[in-house]
Amino acid sequence: MPLIARWLRLALEAISGVLLVFLTALVTLAAVLRLFGYGVAWYDEVAPILLTWVTYFGAALVTLHRGHLGFDNIVRRLPVRARSVAFVTSEFLTITFFLALAWGGFRLLAVISDERLMTVDWFPAAVAQGVIPITSLAFVAAELLTLPDAWKKLTVSTQTPEIASHLS
Amino acid sequence: MPALIVLFGFLVLCCLDVPIAVALGIVALAAMTVSGGEAALLNAAIVLYEGAGKFPLIAIPLFVFAGALMNATSISRRLIGFCLSLVGFIRGGLAMVSIVASMIFAEISGSSVADVAALGSILIPGMKARGYPKELAASVMSSAASLAIIIPPSIPMILYAALADTSVVKLFIAGVVPGFLGGGMLMVTAYGFARRYNLPRENMFSFSGIATAFWDAKLALMLPVIILGGIFGGIVTATEGGAVAVVAALAIGFYYRELNGTILRQAIFEGVTHTAVVMLLVATSALLGVYLTETQIPQRLAESVTDFTHNPLVVLAILNLVLFVLGFFLHGAAAIILVVPVVLPLIKAVGIDLIHFGIIVTLNIAVGQQTPPVASVLMVSCSIAKSNIWETSKLNVYFIVTLIFVLLLVTYAPFVSLGLVNLFYAQ
Repeated sequence: MPLIARWLRLALEAISGVLLVFLTALVTLAAVLRLFGYGVAWYDEVAPILLTWVTYFGAALVTLHRGHLGFDNIVRRLPVRARSVAFVTSEFLTITFFLALAWGGFRLLAVISDERLMTVDWFPAAVAQGVIPITSLAFVAAELLTLPDAWKKLTVSTQTPEIASHLS
Repeated sequence: MPALIVLFGFLVLCCLDVPIAVALGIVALAAMTVSGGEAALLNAAIVLYEGAGKFPLIAIPLFVFAGALMNATSISRRLIGFCLSLVGFIRGGLAMVSIVASMIFAEISGSSVADVAALGSILIPGMKARGYPKELAASVMSSAASLAIIIPPSIPMILYAALADTSVVKLFIAGVVPGFLGGGMLMVTAYGFARRYNLPRENMFSFSGIATAFWDAKLALMLPVIILGGIFGGIVTATEGGAVAVVAALAIGFYYRELNGTILRQAIFEGVTHTAVVMLLVATSALLGVYLTETQIPQRLAESVTDFTHNPLVVLAILNLVLFVLGFFLHGAAAIILVVPVVLPLIKAVGIDLIHFGIIVTLNIAVGQQTPPVASVLMVSCSIAKSNIWETSKLNVYFIVTLIFVLLLVTYAPFVSLGLVNLFYAQ
């Protein structure tokens, strides 16, 4: 894995890991406070934001490991030339999708630049929703950085990595 | 016609090995852009943001994180010791231990893969050492691990509840009887194999042995009481139950001095990645959901089927068949996300209880985890046993038939799943 990919992996691991710990601490704190009769007004709004952030930063991290759920049984049985065409098409479509999403996401941020969260009224909504365009670019970077390795493995096997199999 | 193009496009992308979540996003975004132009891209950003932030789904990362922490501790080993004292005296004792330990571990973890990884790494080598064919060892462990998603807590049930907008706690309660019934029937099947292969007993039954093993496993055995007792007792919500599970796992890990920085970092990594894989699917399916809502496809599907029949039993038979076939090709989370939003209007139109259907979907997912080529749990089990997945499937088919029997029982005898729910929620 190139150096820049390792830095990206470390950054994504750190961000998503801290977010998961925050989310766990927040839910625990809210549960304890609720048991003692104190409600936290901003909990219902902030916890889903943390989940969204964990999702997208984590999903970019999974992309670095090429671990998203897929169905590679057909591609693996194709001759090498057809497999290469499938690979290039798949990569092109995936990268185009996330570039389009990043573009749409940044346009949206300009539209909602004056908005704030409802319960935490000093927090800009654009910061919360900025996760979509930022992680879309991280997805594209992860795809491009892992492209050479994925291309090399193309002629051997594209067996689903272990992360994908770790689903219920 | 546009709906067929979207479906065909999705299938083509999946065949090209585009990740399922991304394939969903691509076809939905393309369809939205065709009908809504450039504004669809802004709309897509909003939908993807909101789609990943559904409050009930917060339980998923928490239970996955808790499962990863528990796997890193000696909880599995202590539970196995307790189960050995309990059922090790039966012929094929280790197969029985695998099933009973899976049933207990299922009350702590909501994931079958976590279950098979935690218990299989100890029990499969143990079974092989005691003369079990490696294919049988893999089959027993794999099918037993599927109980993890039927017996609460269960990640697929959390996912279903969020998509169907129904109660997670009621689903958890409804899963109890089918889960233990499935465990009991798997034990009967395993006993048949024990007779056929003349598998050994592990020990003599003794109350003092049970008491000693119970004391050793006391903290592990307290976990189901704390987690499920808290949720069913109304002390905590299902989401908060996930946080309780994390705190309990941390407490036990520190008590036994088994946690360190590396293990914690690994558990957090597992929590993040597994959550991200499932939640990205949820988010992009929300994008497809917008398209489905605009085109009224689920409603039209419901009308087409109800023109043909209003009989819920026939509808359930059709849906069972669809889910069974999908189970061969899709991971559980993907199957739930693709099927549930589409069939929900049909389920409501013919008057099927949403909780009942949730358990049916979960049982189908449990079967799907055992049917290759896409069989996540069986694959992990086979990799531990170092057995061929197709050779293992020849034996595993008996356990699959057992699970299908439970599925049919739950489908056509609703009280098996709804009995406890009605008891708990009787006015």
